[in-house]
Parts: sequence; structure tokens; C-alpha cells
Amino acid sequence: MRLRSALLSAAFLMGLAGCATPPPATDREALQEFRANNDPLEPFNRAMFQVNDAIDTVALRPAAVVYRTVVPPPLRTGIRNALSNLRAPTVLANDILQAQPERAFRTAARFVINSTLGLGGLIDVAEWQFGMPGHTEDFGQTLAVWGLGEGPYLFLPVIGPSNPRDLAGLAVDAVASPWNWIGQGEVVEALRWARFGLTILDTREEVLDVLDEVRRTSLDPYTTIRSGYRQRRQTEIANRTGAEMPVPSTGFGSVGQTPSDPNPR
Amino acid sequence: MTTPRLSRRTLFGAALLSLPALPALAQMDPARAAAFIQATGQELVGVLNSNAPVERRRAAVADILRRSVDIEGTGRFILGRWWRAASPAEQAEFLRLFEEVLIRNLASRFGEYQGVQFALGRAQQRTEDDALVTTIVQRPGSAAFTLDWRVADVNGQPRIVDLVAEGASLRLTQRSEYSAVIQRGGNQVAALLNAMRQQIAQLSR
Repeated sequence: MRLRSALLSAAFLMGLAGCATPPPATDREALQEFRANNDPLEPFNRAMFQVNDAIDTVALRPAAVVYRTVVPPPLRTGIRNALSNLRAPTVLANDILQAQPERAFRTAARFVINSTLGLGGLIDVAEWQFGMPGHTEDFGQTLAVWGLGEGPYLFLPVIGPSNPRDLAGLAVDAVASPWNWIGQGEVVEALRWARFGLTILDTREEVLDVLDEVRRTSLDPYTTIRSGYRQRRQTEIANRTGAEMPVPSTGFGSVGQTPSDPNPR
Repeated sequence: MTTPRLSRRTLFGAALLSLPALPALAQMDPARAAAFIQATGQELVGVLNSNAPVERRRAAVADILRRSVDIEGTGRFILGRWWRAASPAEQAEFLRLFEEVLIRNLASRFGEYQGVQFALGRAQQRTEDDALVTTIVQRPGSAAFTLDWRVADVNGQPRIVDLVAEGASLRLTQRSEYSAVIQRGGNQVAALLNAMRQQIAQLSR
């Protein structure tokens, strides 16, 4: 098992070389760069990056390619719309927690319109007919708005680029989602798994071109993804995204994005 | 409240006085930047959508990029703290490779960019000397995306100095990437130059 041995060696590496050695205080520029990169766990993260690469190469990427090939574009758009509609309660809660009444109102209105006229979220009627593009929010962003720092950069298999704050946010969003505590029984359970599986497929398919491009052109994909993720999170936290940012970027980890309007506000 | 105003005015006056001593950092007017991006974009789209042989298209793209991108300024920014560590020969070689990578990368994607279109979004002043111009790029069969172009005044001419996609600045990302390659290559700029040469060899296959 290549994967198992990779995991084992990753665990070994973490114990052996979990932390990066900061440059000496005399080299001020190097030290400054080290701090700006915010990656004291780089050796561990690079090991996890390798693990993720292995998983991605044998499972996630091929699955996303098959998904793109087999499922026709209109259906994929419908699935993407439905998944982001299911995330609306989470987005709404975070809009409110960030004291953004206007964005909260838009999220709520979109949820009502798309769940009904949009046939359970399959069609984004709110954007198409009402000119109301969606946006995304998560609890990691809310924590950032509340003033919590990101903590050291983390790269984790399957989840991708992250940090303690965004990881905590991911967990809180997952647990707090109403779809976790509404309904029970086998059918509901099956639907939850279907949603989970489709979310992974949809997310990986969405970043297929971007990640292929990074792999093809970057001399050090690990660093490119770290830089891209951290910059993008900053823009997301500042809400400079939304309408201006139609396609979620380098993060494999950003789950359940809202497809949005290509037209800038 | 008069004190801060006064001091600001004094500062402004001091800045005015010292202006002639500063290098040519002219303001970039957003409208001028937008017109420049519109013209350059049209030219680029024209080449990308033409049926000319790949070699001809690559030469045309190279010509457009050389005229519109501040290769030297951007290259120096990207090499960052390693610029001073590099010998003059390495600096020159880096700029040459940087330009080549830029052109080859775009040229290797001619196929993907068949039928590309773009529309100009808003243009805004970003800092004293550069402006950000938003474009919406549309390729057949894929979702539209936005690209922001940072345009600065370089010796009196508007020049592209950065490309921002999805909130990430390309020159910042590339600076981290190149610095990582140098550090992992034993703090040698030569390690980066080697990696870039290999990349060019791969792209031109």
C-alpha cells in the first residue's frame, strides 16, 4: 500500500522534523520572509502535501475528471446550485454573526427564491431573474472578522490548505448546519452521504483547471498554493469577493462555493 | 482639529518641494490605464483567436508582452531580496528567462484560449502610482472569471506590473515560489535559473 506507507512516513517526518528552523536573527530579510510566510510547520506540511498528492492522483482527481466527462454541464451546474443552496443557512448564520444585515437579507431571499422557484435550488433563479448574485461565508471568516488570527499555516490531506482558525470554522459550520439535525432515518442518512460525496466531486471538479495549471507551471506548487490560499482568504474575509470572484480558486478545501455573477458590482 | 490639518498641509508642502528630487513616479490615471488594457487586450485576443501558425502567434504574443509588461520592474520585484544576492550576469540571465517563461507559458495555452473574449470592468486608483483595471474573461464552454491588471507608469508609459486573479496577486505568489526554489537549492540564485531553464525546455517541447 503506497498510501499507507506514505502516511506512516508522514507521521515519522512529523515527529522527526515537524518544525522548520527559523533563519538566524542576523539575516533580517530571511527572518522577515519566514515570518511573512507564516509556515513554521513547513516540513510537516510538505509531507502532508505529498500525502495529499498521492490521494489526489489515485482518487480525487480521476473522480473529478470522470464526473466532468460523464455528467453534462447543465446538470453539473444544477448540482452546484443545489449544493450552494444547501449551504445558505450556514452562510446566513455567518452573515448575521458578522453583522452584515444586507448580505444576510440577500442570502435569505436567495434561499427562499431558489428553494421554491428554483426547484429545490437546482436553478439559481435569484441571480438569473432577480439579479441577486450569491456569496459565500464560513465560520473561519467570521472568527477572522471577530479579530482572531489565522494561526500557523496548515496543509492537510483532502482538506488542503488551511490553518487552525479555518479548520475550527470548518468544524463549527459542519456541526451547526441545520441539515445535520433535521430528520433521521436511513433515507436522510443516505442523502447526507450523497451530499457529502457530491460536494467533494463538485469542489474538486471546480478547481481541476486551476490545480492542473499550478502543477504545470509552478516550480514549487506547495508554495504557490500556500501563497494563493492565504491571499484569497484575506480577500474573502474583507468581502472583496462575491460578485467579483466567480470561480473559487486554489483551495481544494473550500467546500460548497457559490457560483456567482461574472459582472462586477 | 487645526493641528493635524496644519501638519498635513506642511507635509504636503514638503512633499511638493521634494518632488523634483524623486525618480519619475508619475500618477497613473485610471481612465488611461483602462484604455491601455483595452487596447492591449484587443491586440492579444486578436492574436489568440487568429489562425496563424503557432510560431507566428508566439512571436506576435512575445511582441505584445514586451511592449506592455514592465518585465524588468516586475522581474526585480519577483526576485525580491535575492536580486542583490545575484551577480550582474545572473540578474541579466534571470530577466531573460523571466520574459521567456512568461511568453512560453502563454503560448503553451493557445489552444485553451481559442475564442476568448474579454470585457472591461471598472478601473480604480490603487496607490499613488498604479491603477487596477478589472476585466471579465470569457472562454467558450467555461465560466467567466475576473482578472485585475495592475498598471503603473514606467518612464511615461503605462505598463502592466501585476495580474490579480481570485484575489491573489501573481507577482506576490511568484515571489514566494521563486524564493522557495532558491532556498531549497541551498540559497543559490543559480538553482532558480536552472529550474527556469528546465521549465522552458519542457514548455517548448
